[in-house]
Amino acid sequence: MPGIELKNLIKTFGAATVIDNVSLSIRPHEFMVFLGPSGCGKSTLLRMIAGLESVDAGEIWIGDRRVDQLAPGERRVAMVFQHYALYPHMTVRENMSFGLRNVRMPTAEIDKRVAAAARMLEIEHLLERKPGQISGGQRQRVAIGRAIVKEPHLFLFDEPLSNLDAALRVRTRIEIAQLHQRVEAAMIFVTHDQVEAMTLAHRIVVMNNRKIEQIGTPMEIYSRPATAFVAGFVGTPAMNFAPVELTDGPNGFVSARLPDGVTIPTRIEQASLPGSKAFKLGIRAESLRICGAEQGDTAGVAQFVERLGDRTLVYVRLSDGTTVVAEDAGTSRVALNDSVGVKFDGACAHLFDDQDRGHHAVADVGS
Amino acid sequence: MSAQFASGTVGRGFGDRLILGATIALAIVMIMPMLWAVGLSLKTNQALLIDTNSVLRAPWTLTNYYDILIGSGVFRWLLNSIIVSFGMSLGVLVLASLAGYGFARLDFPGRNVIFVLVLFGLAIPEQAVILVRHQLFSDLDLHNTYAGLMLPGMSAPFGVFLMTQYFKAIPTEIDEAAMLDNASRFKIFWRVLLPMTLPAQATLGIFTFLHAWNDYWWPMVSGTNPQMYTLTVGIASTQQNFAESAGLGYLMAQAVFAFVPVLIVYMFFQKYIVRAVSGAAT
Repeated sequence: MPGIELKNLIKTFGAATVIDNVSLSIRPHEFMVFLGPSGCGKSTLLRMIAGLESVDAGEIWIGDRRVDQLAPGERRVAMVFQHYALYPHMTVRENMSFGLRNVRMPTAEIDKRVAAAARMLEIEHLLERKPGQISGGQRQRVAIGRAIVKEPHLFLFDEPLSNLDAALRVRTRIEIAQLHQRVEAAMIFVTHDQVEAMTLAHRIVVMNNRKIEQIGTPMEIYSRPATAFVAGFVGTPAMNFAPVELTDGPNGFVSARLPDGVTIPTRIEQASLPGSKAFKLGIRAESLRICGAEQGDTAGVAQFVERLGDRTLVYVRLSDGTTVVAEDAGTSRVALNDSVGVKFDGACAHLFDDQDRGHHAVADVGS
Repeated sequence: MSAQFASGTVGRGFGDRLILGATIALAIVMIMPMLWAVGLSLKTNQALLIDTNSVLRAPWTLTNYYDILIGSGVFRWLLNSIIVSFGMSLGVLVLASLAGYGFARLDFPGRNVIFVLVLFGLAIPEQAVILVRHQLFSDLDLHNTYAGLMLPGMSAPFGVFLMTQYFKAIPTEIDEAAMLDNASRFKIFWRVLLPMTLPAQATLGIFTFLHAWNDYWWPMVSGTNPQMYTLTVGIASTQQNFAESAGLGYLMAQAVFAFVPVLIVYMFFQKYIVRAVSGAAT
């Protein structure tokens, strides 16, 4: 199966640029997720690859074929739409075979492919029903089946789970991951849900404001965010940020002084940082631990407590007015307005310079 | 709590019965003239000259229908009405579907302006253009032809509007899925989108058929040859000479011929007609 190459893609709608010089390589059989907030351009990029949006500048290659000038049906891509886009007047079987009949494939081959896909997706008993007679989850399977029978070089998924309820979403997510193991084609999956991105992707493309912010494996994205946007967008709860002053620390590492005067030693090398003076400290909730009011690096008042079962998130208002989210055990007894201490794990802290570029500890996971 | 609920139920039941009673009364008012016409058509003209209430008493006869079978032009008019009504309905469906698809899905210069011009047609009464149209059809030698009777009705601004709105309501994802399925633009229209507009087409087809069937003015203007009369014109032409005609029973038998086909159409399509009138189809 071929890989996919996007070269300097640009897309404009009138005066607005919606894709701004995007380049990207997708390896054969890779599961790539486009992740970003609404309006960042991820769906437009997907539609450009599918041929549903024209390319104003740049090239799209699938293997050794340049496809950006080809009609959608000639690109050997298959797409699963957010709202399924099944043909309501056709049976499930007709929906799945429609594309194959259009290319005049022999009936025996069509029947074979439809049967195999239906068996794989466990929808054999639905083949003679119409989309209106089956559930949302089953419709999603049919939409996936319609893509599978084409045996495409590339599967495109445009937020396919967003219409499903929570339980079905988890199940379908697992099924898509299993499907990827069974087919050889690459897959591109668009979502704004970071859980879907983290659990499905080989690599994630984080997009914001028409551009790619970072491309990396899920753990690279999580542990070594390239920009403050990525750091804030990926991870729940969002990363804590605070403006800091840098001071020299031990062994060539820097220490960060918070507005309330607390100094956090980090494992970020002084030599790796630019000359800029303005830095933000970024640190995730799991690197901030709740402790007794006198035992922490700093202290504050619990403003809000989220009990998630396996852990408890405590929103702590520090003495300078900053609120940080810290983590405690699932059995935490912290209550609203309690005075609590907060202990920083500076080894997991990140720094973001005045260009919002991320700088990370030398021994970070995934580095 | 339960008392309030019970009281509400009683209130709703009474209201329902009131509405049902009014509906039955209206239905009787609507159907009585038709039943009366059927009754009159089954009486001899001599009996009706003495007393029209004799319709309620035997003897009844099929003489009037027999006379129609052997001597009247009503069969020819019925055939003309069927040809014109079906032809006009088919034409409207084809043209309005194509135009609706074009306005809803194709991007071409002046699309919105042309659409507005089409909608202007809704505001122009037929009476305002009938003289010009008559002259035009005369120049084109279209009077006393089926084309002449059908063509004016085929320009249906409401139909274009209805189909445009219906096509617009279909998600473009469907078109895109079909494009990825290697379907040509015509195939997307014909095999994918058009079948999805069947409820709107049923509505439009039924209304066009009923309009064409009941239309009187243009067929009277254009179809001056008795061989090209539609039922409405034909029956009216015999009523014009009522004093000399074969009588009331004979006239009513012709009227029955006029409304029975529509009644049959209604019986077959009543589900769609009810949905169309209630707006559910659109």
